[in-house]
Amino acid sequence: MVNAVYDHMIAILIIGVIFVSAVVILPTMSFTNIQAVNQQQLRNTALNVFNAMLLDTGEPIDWGSQRPFYMNDPRVNRFGLASAQDTTFYVLDPDKVQRLVVGNPLNYCDYNRVRDLLGLKDYGFRLRIIPPFNVTFKSISVASNVLNYEADVHYLDGTPIPNAEIYATAVYTKTKGNNLIFNVSQSGPFKSNSLGKCIGTVPLEVTDPDYYTVTLKVTVADVATLVVTSGQEFNNTIARINLVYDTIVLTSWKDPPDYNVPPNDAIWILDVVAFGSKGKLWHLLDKDKKGSSDFNSGSGNFERWNQTFSGLHGFQPVILIFNFWAVDQVTGHGRSQVLIVTAYPNLLGTNIFEYGGDPKSSDSVKIQRSVIISGMTYTAELWLWKEST
Amino acid sequence: MERINITKNTIGQMRIVEVILASFVIVFALSFTNIFAITPTSPKYEVTELQKLGYNTLHDLDEQGLLARFVYNHEWENLTSALRVLLPLDVYFNVTIYDLQGTKVNNVPIFYGDREAFATSKNVASINYGLVGYPTRLSATYTPRILIIQLVRG
Repeated sequence: MVNAVYDHMIAILIIGVIFVSAVVILPTMSFTNIQAVNQQQLRNTALNVFNAMLLDTGEPIDWGSQRPFYMNDPRVNRFGLASAQDTTFYVLDPDKVQRLVVGNPLNYCDYNRVRDLLGLKDYGFRLRIIPPFNVTFKSISVASNVLNYEADVHYLDGTPIPNAEIYATAVYTKTKGNNLIFNVSQSGPFKSNSLGKCIGTVPLEVTDPDYYTVTLKVTVADVATLVVTSGQEFNNTIARINLVYDTIVLTSWKDPPDYNVPPNDAIWILDVVAFGSKGKLWHLLDKDKKGSSDFNSGSGNFERWNQTFSGLHGFQPVILIFNFWAVDQVTGHGRSQVLIVTAYPNLLGTNIFEYGGDPKSSDSVKIQRSVIISGMTYTAELWLWKEST
Repeated sequence: MERINITKNTIGQMRIVEVILASFVIVFALSFTNIFAITPTSPKYEVTELQKLGYNTLHDLDEQGLLARFVYNHEWENLTSALRVLLPLDVYFNVTIYDLQGTKVNNVPIFYGDREAFATSKNVASINYGLVGYPTRLSATYTPRILIIQLVRG
């Protein structure tokens, strides 16, 4: 009788141990399953969000090209980056992408606003736009009337790209008394060698220019193109160059601008040249420094100057080159022709554009897709994760 | 008297044996069901993702008229470069091109990545893509090619 009691006690003990073990093990096992289901749901959500971003034009369909555009503009009812002008899938509107560039002087939509528009209150996301390859300038020099450049073309993992096709465009100025020379010369194609190195020259029409800049259009296998620019280094405080659809807008570098003090710098805009993704040049403006400066004629305190050039958006400009008559940025003495070059949108070039929050490494999903911006191929990458977990 | 006690005692021992057997059954059942659970690292999801990526890339190239040009003009280096710039950095590929008789057309490897990754990875996606021919301005011949692209994440 006593032994039977002991046996029952041992049986109860074993059952207890099994019960406790089950309580510990079972949730762990089902947690893995729940995690798997969550992961798949997250992946589906990411796919829907990615499609909404890349295939939808948003509402209004030209929301990125609106002027004025307010910070987190309430007129944007639906978010989408697709171009309304292009019927091909995965072609993004550079004006809309530009509205994601934090610090855009013509305003932008911040992360929380975009998250609200996408209905992602419980989720976090990060959008990355990655160039397909890299181009690095190694050297640029002018000897008499020849501009020499050397550039390296390589894949993102650093291995060289042979046979990349390179066209060079040199823009340069020279001041001889009252004679202001502004010129554009082109050369190419040159091919990169087996080490990915390209050494090229551009014949110039003047000797020893005061300012010069070279723009390279690099194409790999006829499928991916990058446009990169380089020139003399100086600290540009004249103006920031912005583009909204067909309108070029120059804005103050002062951040925040001093609204009460009118800018006292007399600056003339002599030339404006746009460089398109297909390698074409468009001389948008050709003026002289006679008469009064119209540099500070822009509307609003931030804007210094604006002008609309019909058809500029369709031209797909990727580089804008300005020739100012301004105080020499290098010497600080007297006025001369000063070249300022800017990429449009700012994210283009060889930088990786990133927008959004910081992904949680453990519980986030990643989706990738190649997209076209201003006629150039990029890889868009979306990271999505749940905020509340 | 002693024999009667032994008989009574075995009833309690049998309970213990029953409990142990029952617990084994439960544990085995749970372990068995867990084999079929689709975990986040399941090849099913990863392979689907890679298949989409590969198909989209080939389709994009085809839409631009470049894929047929690369294949029919035997521009293997250009095809490799195009895939390398269009596919993400961490995606390795191996492309083989066949004609309708099943003869391999590309005499040089169209490959990027680590061969070990293809041999060891459980998540290898394979995409078949067909090309009917390469129409030029003057002629259009029906000479189909079958591209088989294998993708793996490095």
